[in-house]
Amino acid sequence: MSSRIAILGAPVLAFLLGGCAVQGKSFEPAAAPSNTATIYVYRPYSFFGSLIHPTVQCGDETAAIGPGGYHPFVVPAGRVTCRTGTEAADELEFDADPRVYYVRERISLGVLVGHPQLDPMDTDEAQSEIQTCCKQQQ
Amino acid sequence: MPRKSSLRIPGFSSPAFLALALALVVLAPGCAEQQLHEPPPLVADTSSLRPLPFKGRLVSGNPNQLPPIVAMSLSDNSPITFSYREELTHEEHHTPMILSALENLAFLSNPTGEYVVTALASLSISNGGEPIGDYTAQTRIARPYGMYSQPTHKELDDAARAAVRQEIDRKLEAEMPKLAASTGDTE
Repeated sequence: MSSRIAILGAPVLAFLLGGCAVQGKSFEPAAAPSNTATIYVYRPYSFFGSLIHPTVQCGDETAAIGPGGYHPFVVPAGRVTCRTGTEAADELEFDADPRVYYVRERISLGVLVGHPQLDPMDTDEAQSEIQTCCKQQQ
Repeated sequence: MPRKSSLRIPGFSSPAFLALALALVVLAPGCAEQQLHEPPPLVADTSSLRPLPFKGRLVSGNPNQLPPIVAMSLSDNSPITFSYREELTHEEHHTPMILSALENLAFLSNPTGEYVVTALASLSISNGGEPIGDYTAQTRIARPYGMYSQPTHKELDDAARAAVRQEIDRKLEAEMPKLAASTGDTE
Protein backbone atom coordinates (compact mmCIF):
# COMPACT_ATOMS: atom_id res chain seq x y z
CA MET A 1 0.00 0.00 0.00
CA SER A 2 2.73 2.42 1.01
CA SER A 3 4.73 1.66 -2.15
CA ARG A 4 1.62 2.43 -4.27
CA ILE A 5 1.26 5.78 -2.51
CA ALA A 6 4.93 6.48 -3.16
CA ILE A 7 4.59 5.60 -6.87
CA LEU A 8 1.52 7.80 -7.28
CA GLY A 9 2.81 10.55 -5.06
CA ALA A 10 6.27 10.96 -6.59
CA PRO A 11 5.12 12.43 -9.93
CA VAL A 12 2.66 14.71 -8.15
CA LEU A 13 5.38 15.91 -5.82
CA ALA A 14 7.81 16.35 -8.71
CA PHE A 15 5.18 18.41 -10.58
CA LEU A 16 4.41 20.52 -7.54
CA LEU A 17 8.01 21.24 -6.70
CA GLY A 18 9.58 21.61 -10.10
CA GLY A 19 6.78 21.75 -12.62
CA CYS A 20 6.11 25.44 -12.20
CA ALA A 21 9.71 26.60 -12.56
CA VAL A 22 10.53 28.52 -15.72
CA GLN A 23 12.19 26.34 -18.36
CA GLY A 24 14.41 28.10 -20.85
CA LYS A 25 17.89 29.34 -21.64
CA SER A 26 20.09 30.04 -18.67
CA PHE A 27 21.20 33.60 -18.05
CA GLU A 28 22.97 35.42 -20.80
CA PRO A 29 23.48 39.21 -21.04
CA ALA A 30 21.03 40.96 -23.35
CA ALA A 31 22.25 43.09 -26.23
CA ALA A 32 21.22 46.69 -25.68
CA PRO A 33 21.54 49.70 -28.00
CA SER A 34 23.47 52.71 -26.75
CA ASN A 35 21.63 55.20 -24.58
CA THR A 36 19.39 52.50 -23.16
CA ALA A 37 19.27 50.97 -19.73
CA THR A 38 18.88 47.24 -19.22
CA ILE A 39 16.82 46.26 -16.21
CA TYR A 40 16.96 42.58 -15.36
CA VAL A 41 13.95 41.59 -13.31
CA TYR A 42 14.52 38.11 -11.93
CA ARG A 43 12.61 35.85 -9.62
CA PRO A 44 14.64 33.15 -7.83
CA TYR A 45 12.76 29.88 -7.60
CA SER A 46 10.56 29.46 -4.55
CA PHE A 47 7.77 26.94 -4.20
CA PHE A 48 5.67 29.41 -2.23
CA GLY A 49 3.69 31.62 -4.56
CA SER A 50 4.91 29.68 -7.59
CA LEU A 51 1.45 29.60 -9.16
CA ILE A 52 1.33 33.39 -9.20
CA HIS A 53 2.86 35.07 -12.25
CA PRO A 54 2.16 38.77 -11.78
CA THR A 55 2.88 41.03 -14.73
CA VAL A 56 5.86 43.33 -14.30
CA GLN A 57 5.91 46.54 -16.30
CA CYS A 58 9.09 48.57 -16.83
CA GLY A 59 8.67 51.55 -19.12
CA ASP A 60 6.39 50.43 -21.96
CA GLU A 61 7.36 46.77 -21.76
CA THR A 62 5.62 44.09 -19.73
CA ALA A 63 6.49 40.51 -18.77
CA ALA A 64 4.94 37.90 -16.51
CA ILE A 65 7.85 36.23 -14.80
CA GLY A 66 7.48 32.79 -13.28
CA PRO A 67 9.54 31.34 -10.44
CA GLY A 68 13.12 30.76 -11.53
CA GLY A 69 12.76 33.14 -14.48
CA TYR A 70 14.16 36.50 -15.53
CA HIS A 71 13.37 39.09 -18.16
CA PRO A 72 15.63 41.86 -19.49
CA PHE A 73 13.77 45.14 -19.94
CA VAL A 74 15.65 47.38 -22.37
CA VAL A 75 14.34 50.90 -21.86
CA PRO A 76 15.48 54.38 -22.91
CA ALA A 77 17.75 55.99 -20.31
CA GLY A 78 15.96 58.47 -18.08
CA ARG A 79 13.15 58.23 -15.57
CA VAL A 80 11.85 54.65 -15.54
CA THR A 81 9.08 53.16 -13.44
CA CYS A 82 8.73 49.44 -12.83
CA ARG A 83 5.53 48.20 -11.26
CA THR A 84 3.76 44.99 -10.46
CA GLY A 85 0.82 43.98 -8.33
CA THR A 86 -1.90 41.55 -7.36
CA GLU A 87 -4.07 42.56 -4.42
CA ALA A 88 -1.14 44.77 -3.33
CA ALA A 89 1.21 46.62 -5.66
CA ASP A 90 4.84 47.60 -5.61
CA GLU A 91 6.49 50.29 -7.66
CA LEU A 92 10.10 51.30 -8.21
CA GLU A 93 11.22 54.49 -9.86
CA PHE A 94 14.75 55.40 -10.84
CA ASP A 95 16.73 57.73 -13.05
CA ALA A 96 18.23 55.11 -15.29
CA ASP A 97 21.66 55.74 -16.78
CA PRO A 98 22.74 53.67 -19.81
CA ARG A 99 23.86 50.72 -17.72
CA VAL A 100 22.57 47.49 -16.19
CA TYR A 101 20.22 47.36 -13.20
CA TYR A 102 18.93 44.36 -11.30
CA VAL A 103 15.57 44.01 -9.59
CA ARG A 104 14.53 40.90 -7.69
CA GLU A 105 10.89 39.92 -7.63
CA ARG A 106 9.61 37.96 -4.67
CA ILE A 107 6.20 36.95 -3.42
CA SER A 108 5.19 37.58 0.17
CA LEU A 109 2.17 36.41 2.10
CA GLY A 110 -1.15 37.96 1.09
CA VAL A 111 -4.76 37.65 2.20
CA LEU A 112 -6.18 35.92 -0.88
CA VAL A 113 -3.13 35.90 -3.14
CA GLY A 114 0.58 36.56 -2.59
CA HIS A 115 1.97 40.09 -2.80
CA PRO A 116 4.72 40.63 -5.38
CA GLN A 117 7.60 42.85 -4.29
CA LEU A 118 10.31 44.44 -6.42
CA ASP A 119 13.59 44.76 -4.55
CA PRO A 120 16.39 46.84 -6.10
CA MET A 121 19.55 44.77 -5.83
CA ASP A 122 23.27 45.30 -5.62
CA THR A 123 25.00 44.14 -8.79
CA ASP A 124 27.32 41.69 -6.98
CA GLU A 125 24.52 39.84 -5.20
CA ALA A 126 22.18 39.95 -8.18
CA GLN A 127 24.77 38.62 -10.63
CA SER A 128 25.16 35.43 -8.64
CA GLU A 129 21.43 35.01 -7.98
CA ILE A 130 20.38 35.54 -11.59
CA GLN A 131 22.66 32.71 -12.72
CA THR A 132 20.12 30.30 -11.22
CA CYS A 133 17.30 31.76 -13.33
CA CYS A 134 16.22 30.97 -16.87
CA LYS A 135 15.04 33.40 -19.51
CA GLN A 136 11.27 33.78 -19.35
CA GLN A 137 9.67 32.87 -22.67
CA GLN A 138 6.86 35.34 -23.44
CA MET B 1 -36.01 22.02 33.44
CA PRO B 2 -32.88 20.05 32.62
CA ARG B 3 -29.77 22.14 32.22
CA LYS B 4 -27.60 21.69 29.18
CA SER B 5 -24.17 20.43 30.17
CA SER B 6 -21.17 22.28 28.82
CA LEU B 7 -17.42 21.98 29.09
CA ARG B 8 -16.15 24.45 31.64
CA ILE B 9 -12.49 25.24 32.09
CA PRO B 10 -11.71 26.69 35.51
CA GLY B 11 -10.79 30.37 35.33
CA PHE B 12 -11.66 30.81 31.64
CA SER B 13 -15.07 32.24 32.34
CA SER B 14 -13.94 34.65 35.02
CA PRO B 15 -14.58 38.36 34.33
CA ALA B 16 -10.83 39.05 34.50
CA PHE B 17 -10.12 36.53 31.74
CA LEU B 18 -12.91 37.88 29.55
CA ALA B 19 -11.67 41.44 30.05
CA LEU B 20 -8.12 40.39 29.20
CA ALA B 21 -9.23 38.53 26.06
CA LEU B 22 -11.28 41.52 24.93
CA ALA B 23 -8.37 43.89 25.55
CA LEU B 24 -6.02 41.63 23.59
CA VAL B 25 -8.39 41.41 20.63
CA VAL B 26 -8.79 45.19 20.52
CA LEU B 27 -5.24 46.23 21.31
CA ALA B 28 -3.03 43.70 19.56
CA PRO B 29 -4.25 44.20 15.99
CA GLY B 30 -4.83 47.89 16.67
CA CYS B 31 -1.19 48.50 17.48
CA ALA B 32 0.02 46.61 14.46
CA GLU B 33 -2.33 48.50 12.15
CA GLN B 34 -1.09 51.77 13.54
CA GLN B 35 2.50 50.71 12.93
CA LEU B 36 1.80 49.59 9.37
CA HIS B 37 -0.12 52.68 8.39
CA GLU B 38 2.38 55.13 9.81
CA PRO B 39 2.47 57.78 7.11
CA PRO B 40 5.74 58.72 5.46
CA PRO B 41 7.17 62.08 6.50
CA LEU B 42 5.43 64.87 4.69
CA VAL B 43 7.29 67.03 2.25
CA ALA B 44 8.23 70.27 3.96
CA ASP B 45 6.00 73.25 3.41
CA THR B 46 8.21 75.25 1.07
CA SER B 47 6.18 78.46 1.45
CA SER B 48 8.06 79.26 4.67
CA LEU B 49 11.48 78.78 3.07
CA ARG B 50 13.64 81.66 1.87
CA PRO B 51 16.05 81.36 -1.05
CA LEU B 52 19.79 81.71 -0.53
CA PRO B 53 21.18 85.27 -0.46
CA PHE B 54 22.72 84.63 -3.89
CA LYS B 55 21.87 82.79 -7.09
CA GLY B 56 23.90 79.85 -8.32
CA ARG B 57 24.35 77.69 -11.37
CA LEU B 58 23.75 73.94 -11.15
CA VAL B 59 26.79 72.15 -12.57
CA SER B 60 25.99 68.67 -11.28
CA GLY B 61 22.64 67.19 -10.36
CA ASN B 62 19.09 67.01 -11.63
CA PRO B 63 17.34 70.42 -11.54
CA ASN B 64 14.05 68.64 -10.76
CA GLN B 65 15.52 66.74 -7.82
CA LEU B 66 16.93 69.42 -5.53
CA PRO B 67 16.38 70.65 -1.98
CA PRO B 68 13.74 73.41 -2.24
CA ILE B 69 16.10 76.21 -1.09
CA VAL B 70 18.63 75.31 -3.79
CA ALA B 71 15.89 75.02 -6.40
CA MET B 72 14.72 78.56 -5.49
CA SER B 73 18.23 79.93 -5.92
CA LEU B 74 19.07 78.71 -9.42
CA SER B 75 20.35 80.95 -12.16
CA ASP B 76 21.85 80.15 -15.56
CA ASN B 77 24.61 82.72 -15.39
CA SER B 78 26.26 83.01 -12.02
CA PRO B 79 29.86 82.57 -10.94
CA ILE B 80 28.57 80.62 -7.95
CA THR B 81 27.99 76.93 -8.65
CA PHE B 82 25.98 74.19 -6.98
CA SER B 83 26.84 70.53 -7.16
CA TYR B 84 24.21 68.24 -5.70
CA ARG B 85 24.26 64.47 -5.43
CA GLU B 86 21.73 62.11 -3.93
CA GLU B 87 22.07 58.39 -3.42
CA LEU B 88 19.60 55.83 -2.16
CA THR B 89 20.41 52.44 -0.71
CA HIS B 90 17.81 49.78 -0.02
CA GLU B 91 17.54 47.00 2.53
CA GLU B 92 14.81 44.47 3.04
CA HIS B 93 14.14 42.17 5.91
CA HIS B 94 11.72 39.37 5.14
CA THR B 95 10.27 36.75 7.41
CA PRO B 96 10.37 33.46 5.47
CA MET B 97 6.92 32.81 4.04
CA ILE B 98 6.57 29.42 5.71
CA LEU B 99 7.13 31.07 9.11
CA SER B 100 4.72 33.91 8.28
CA ALA B 101 2.08 31.39 7.24
CA LEU B 102 2.45 29.52 10.51
CA GLU B 103 2.48 32.65 12.65
CA ASN B 104 -1.00 33.52 13.84
CA LEU B 105 -0.07 37.14 14.46
CA ALA B 106 0.68 37.61 10.76
CA PHE B 107 -3.04 37.14 10.16
CA LEU B 108 -3.71 39.81 12.80
CA SER B 109 -1.75 42.31 10.67
CA ASN B 110 1.57 41.75 12.40
CA PRO B 111 4.45 42.83 10.10
CA THR B 112 6.03 40.06 8.04
CA GLY B 113 8.97 42.13 6.89
CA GLU B 114 10.44 45.58 6.56
CA TYR B 115 11.71 47.89 3.84
CA VAL B 116 14.52 50.29 4.68
CA VAL B 117 15.72 53.13 2.48
CA THR B 118 18.74 55.24 3.36
CA ALA B 119 19.21 58.50 1.49
CA LEU B 120 22.56 60.26 1.39
CA ALA B 121 22.84 63.74 -0.07
CA SER B 122 25.76 66.09 -0.58
CA LEU B 123 25.75 69.69 -1.72
CA SER B 124 28.84 71.69 -2.62
CA ILE B 125 28.72 75.44 -3.24
CA SER B 126 31.66 77.14 -4.92
CA ASN B 127 32.36 80.73 -5.84
CA GLY B 128 34.67 81.02 -8.82
CA GLY B 129 36.08 77.58 -8.10
CA GLU B 130 36.61 78.24 -4.40
CA PRO B 131 34.42 76.13 -2.10
CA ILE B 132 32.24 78.21 0.21
CA GLY B 133 29.98 75.48 1.57
CA ASP B 134 29.86 71.71 1.76
CA TYR B 135 26.86 69.95 3.26
CA THR B 136 25.98 66.31 3.68
CA ALA B 137 22.92 64.68 5.16
CA GLN B 138 21.69 61.16 5.70
CA THR B 139 18.23 59.90 6.52
CA ARG B 140 16.87 56.43 7.05
CA ILE B 141 13.25 55.51 6.47
CA ALA B 142 11.98 52.10 7.58
CA ARG B 143 8.46 50.80 7.04
CA PRO B 144 7.11 47.38 7.94
CA TYR B 145 4.82 45.47 5.64
CA GLY B 146 2.33 42.74 6.35
CA MET B 147 -0.52 40.80 4.83
CA TYR B 148 -2.89 43.73 4.79
CA SER B 149 -0.63 46.67 4.08
CA GLN B 150 2.48 47.13 2.01
CA PRO B 151 4.22 50.41 1.16
CA THR B 152 5.64 50.60 -2.33
CA HIS B 153 9.35 51.14 -2.83
CA LYS B 154 8.50 54.39 -4.62
CA GLU B 155 6.66 55.75 -1.57
CA LEU B 156 9.67 55.02 0.61
CA ASP B 157 12.13 56.44 -1.92
CA ASP B 158 10.07 59.63 -2.17
CA ALA B 159 9.87 59.91 1.62
CA ALA B 160 13.63 59.35 2.00
CA ARG B 161 14.44 61.91 -0.70
CA ALA B 162 12.09 64.47 0.87
CA ALA B 163 13.61 63.90 4.30
CA VAL B 164 17.22 64.24 3.14
CA ARG B 165 16.43 67.40 1.16
CA GLN B 166 14.70 68.83 4.22
CA GLU B 167 17.85 68.11 6.21
CA ILE B 168 20.05 69.90 3.64
CA ASP B 169 17.62 72.84 3.68
CA ARG B 170 17.80 72.96 7.48
CA LYS B 171 21.59 73.14 7.33
CA LEU B 172 21.48 75.84 4.66
CA GLU B 173 19.04 77.93 6.71
CA ALA B 174 21.32 77.66 9.73
CA GLU B 175 24.29 78.88 7.70
CA MET B 176 22.50 81.60 5.73
CA PRO B 177 24.42 84.53 7.38
CA LYS B 178 27.77 82.79 6.86
CA LEU B 179 26.99 82.10 3.21
CA ALA B 180 25.87 85.70 2.67
CA ALA B 181 29.12 86.96 4.21
CA SER B 182 31.26 84.62 2.12
CA THR B 183 29.77 85.92 -1.11
CA GLY B 184 29.71 89.54 0.05
CA ASP B 185 25.93 89.73 -0.35
CA THR B 186 23.46 90.95 2.21
CA GLU B 187 19.82 90.09 2.43
